[in-house]
Amino acid sequence: MKIAVLMKRVPDTASVFKIGADNKSVETDNLKYVMSPYDEHALEEAIQTKEAGKADEVFVITVGPDAAKETIRTALAMGADRAVFVKDDAASDTNCKGTAMILAAALKTEAPELIFAGKQAVDDDASQVPERVAELLDIPHASVVTSFELNDGTALVEREIEGGHYKMEMALPALFTTQKGINTPRYPTLPNIMKAKKKEIKELTFADIGLSAADVASGVTIEEMALPRQDRLNKILDGDNDERVAQLLSVLREEEKVL
Amino acid sequence: MSDKLIDRRDLHFLLFEMFEVERLLEHEYYEDHSTTTFKLALDTAYQLAQELFWPSFSEFDKNPAYFDGEKTIVPESMHKIWAAFKEGGWFAASFAYEHGGQQFPGMVHLAALYMFNAGNTAASMYLGQATGAAQLIEGFGSESLKKVYMHKLFAGDWAGTMALTEPQAGTSLGDITTSATPVEGEDYYIIRGTKRFISSGDHDLTENIIHPTLAKIDGAPPGVKGISLFIVPKYRVNDDGSIGAPNDVITAGIERKLGLKGQATAELKFGENDECRGWLLGEPHCGLKYMFQLMNSARVHTGLQAIAQASTAYQCALQYAKERVQGREVTEHDPATPQIPIINHPEVRRMLLRQKAFIEGVVSLLIYCGALSDRLRVAGSKEEEDTCRALLEILTPVCKAYGSDVAYESIMLALQCYGGAGYIEEYPIAQILRDNRVFPIYEGTNEIQAMDLLGRKVAVDQGAYLRALMGEIAKTLAEAGTMDALGGQTGKVQEAMEAITEVTMHLAAIGLSGDHKTYISHATPYLRAFSQLVIAWQFLWQSVVAQRALDSDAGDATFYEGKIATAKYYIDAILPSTHTICHLIKSGEDSALNFKEEWFGATHPSVTA
Ligand SMILES: Cc1cc2nc3c(=O)[nH]c(=O)nc-3n(C[C@H](O)[C@H](O)[C@H](O)COP(=O)(O)OP(=O)(O)OC[C@H]3O[C@@H](n4cnc5c(N)ncnc54)[C@H](O)[C@@H]3O)c2cc1C
Repeated sequence: MKIAVLMKRVPDTASVFKIGADNKSVETDNLKYVMSPYDEHALEEAIQTKEAGKADEVFVITVGPDAAKETIRTALAMGADRAVFVKDDAASDTNCKGTAMILAAALKTEAPELIFAGKQAVDDDASQVPERVAELLDIPHASVVTSFELNDGTALVEREIEGGHYKMEMALPALFTTQKGINTPRYPTLPNIMKAKKKEIKELTFADIGLSAADVASGVTIEEMALPRQDRLNKILDGDNDERVAQLLSVLREEEKVL
Repeated sequence: MSDKLIDRRDLHFLLFEMFEVERLLEHEYYEDHSTTTFKLALDTAYQLAQELFWPSFSEFDKNPAYFDGEKTIVPESMHKIWAAFKEGGWFAASFAYEHGGQQFPGMVHLAALYMFNAGNTAASMYLGQATGAAQLIEGFGSESLKKVYMHKLFAGDWAGTMALTEPQAGTSLGDITTSATPVEGEDYYIIRGTKRFISSGDHDLTENIIHPTLAKIDGAPPGVKGISLFIVPKYRVNDDGSIGAPNDVITAGIERKLGLKGQATAELKFGENDECRGWLLGEPHCGLKYMFQLMNSARVHTGLQAIAQASTAYQCALQYAKERVQGREVTEHDPATPQIPIINHPEVRRMLLRQKAFIEGVVSLLIYCGALSDRLRVAGSKEEEDTCRALLEILTPVCKAYGSDVAYESIMLALQCYGGAGYIEEYPIAQILRDNRVFPIYEGTNEIQAMDLLGRKVAVDQGAYLRALMGEIAKTLAEAGTMDALGGQTGKVQEAMEAITEVTMHLAAIGLSGDHKTYISHATPYLRAFSQLVIAWQFLWQSVVAQRALDSDAGDATFYEGKIATAKYYIDAILPSTHTICHLIKSGEDSALNFKEEWFGATHPSVTA
């Protein structure tokens, strides 16, 4: 069995973000890039599945500029067997829809039985690409998965839902997006770093997968970008002590979700 | 904060731009490597430092290692760190494939250790000592010792220590009394004695601990010429490699200390029941010579540990200084205006700059030493080998002593930037300061380093090491001399070099006259003056590289301009005291030598304990 892992190179969220002079983009000069953390969980789940003897091969797939190869190497050093890289310097002009089209087209030639992806990418937080890919490939998907078990031709998974869990069984081929808690991603080891150098990175162009830049153009115009304002939200509770305690409890439970 | 522990940009500058680690790829030994393997290893090291080492830092202070009467317990997170280190293959990272290593360049390995130590030094010590013990056995052990111990140590299956110090013999190792008695017909000796202050001396991290131990074979010559080195395991090892009977190494206790509390600093009793077996490493009576081979790299590592902690403290202080608002510009008289971040006060800025200069200067020297050991490995000629060795020899005391002295000063400044908050345990600086205080002491006190520099390294072969160093400095001066932008700094480094040459000749004359006591009494001031020249030279070299990058419009101007400004600060504001010190030495300042003991005043015996 072949497992694909969708992976995205994103700016490290610990970076200092600045909006560019055009007010429509993020300055990329001083950003350090990493694998999107939820994708690390996806990759880890794929590697563990292979280590358990339930799959033969794990490959990662990504769309992006040439620099994305650095992140691919990290994935290979964590234990992926090989990578598919759709090189697209115009990818900046696409969005979730276009990215999903590219990935789906490339995946068709690979025909993996199982696909993992992070539940969202930490840069634009859209939570759309994997689901769109599943739709385009016409396979079922389950998102925000916190537990995964592979049986003969089916997967038994738990999804996180508002205030609880949802258990479901699905036939393969299928796609799953991973949530924190499903596993602990491993660190690359030095022996694997040495091996990563020799692993295959298959490079594809748009033409190879039968798409053009126009096919995947985003069709969305960004008017303006701004950093979130950091105002403090004060809330003053009214009423007598009992009422205020009740209100406080409700805020902590329902709004802040800390209880 | 993206770079909480260290400045990764600076490390990248040193490795890739200044010491050109990629040039090693031309050599067969490194042929499997590439820029990618280096970067992946460095990224992974940083991730481990941030996610594993640093989060456990304060736990190491709150849950000190202790002995419960039967076994020694270390902080819980140490087990996780050990496992990750073992899994990652870090114990043997820069060693040969045949030892289970990955043949990483020494400078990449050093950079990784720098990050681990910035995260948690006490934890890094447990790890580093396994590698150290393995390295000793690799260098000097018989095939059978290698077979039994070396691979287990390099793999991280077993842990190691370095057992030198005894209650009556710390600095003066010639006075150790631990004995080794040969046993008729056996390949081992019976070891008897007490070792004190042994780092990682006991713990529950691994099933065995290997103690390279200094002892004297019965009837050995007195002093350092009678010291041999033994491999003493905590548990004996059966022929099939499995763990056998306890080897009569008893933990008498774990010290309570100023800092590094998660470190199990043990007092060990060897052979209380005459059952402690030790296997001789190499030849009899050569123990100190072997130990010194390891100690040279251990001393560079001590400088590294010290300055890594200074880096963490600096990163914290820098962030704090940007966030903490207090006071107004001196020119602002309106109390209604908001207070400003303290980084705007020149007094705070100077403290930050001083820290930055100490750290970037010393780290540069440390990575340079890593680069020298790499060059040594691939050297094409005897001449180049000799040069690399000479440079390493003469720079080792500078790394260890100057590195740890200014690291401590740097952390004091970081604490000062925090004001009262720095003194409070809620912030990490107080612990860093306490932890850091050991580095001027262990691996040979800084006084001993100074005496090693002046008494040995400078004097060897009529100054051969010193000439090698001056030759390298002259090369940088020549290069910098062609760059107008660096004119001012170049002249100042040149003058400092002349001052050091002069004062060394002055001292040599005293030494040649037979007055060794006066000669060596200048050791500590000399080391300071000498080290400042070395660091200023590193900064001038950095400036050359940075200026070239600026001239070629390579981008990232902020970094390069900051680099040149930092170098300028060191050369303009710190280096000049080299001249004062040289003056003092030449003036014959002799208080330390001739101040009478009774002038210090009377004491009472009860105050020492
Ligand atoms: C936390 C910690 C961990 C340690 N880990 C280890 C370890 O793993 N293995 C190990 O073997 N040891 C270890 N040590 C011991 C350490 O190496 C010694 O403490 C150190 O070498 C100094 O020896 P001492 O304590 O006996 O001090 P002393 O030798 O008594 O020195 C006291 C002072 O006198 C000075 N002095 C002594 N002799 C001279 C001289 N001839 N000329 C000029 N000045 C002199 C010293 O510089 C120092 O300032 C550790 C110590 C500590 C505190």
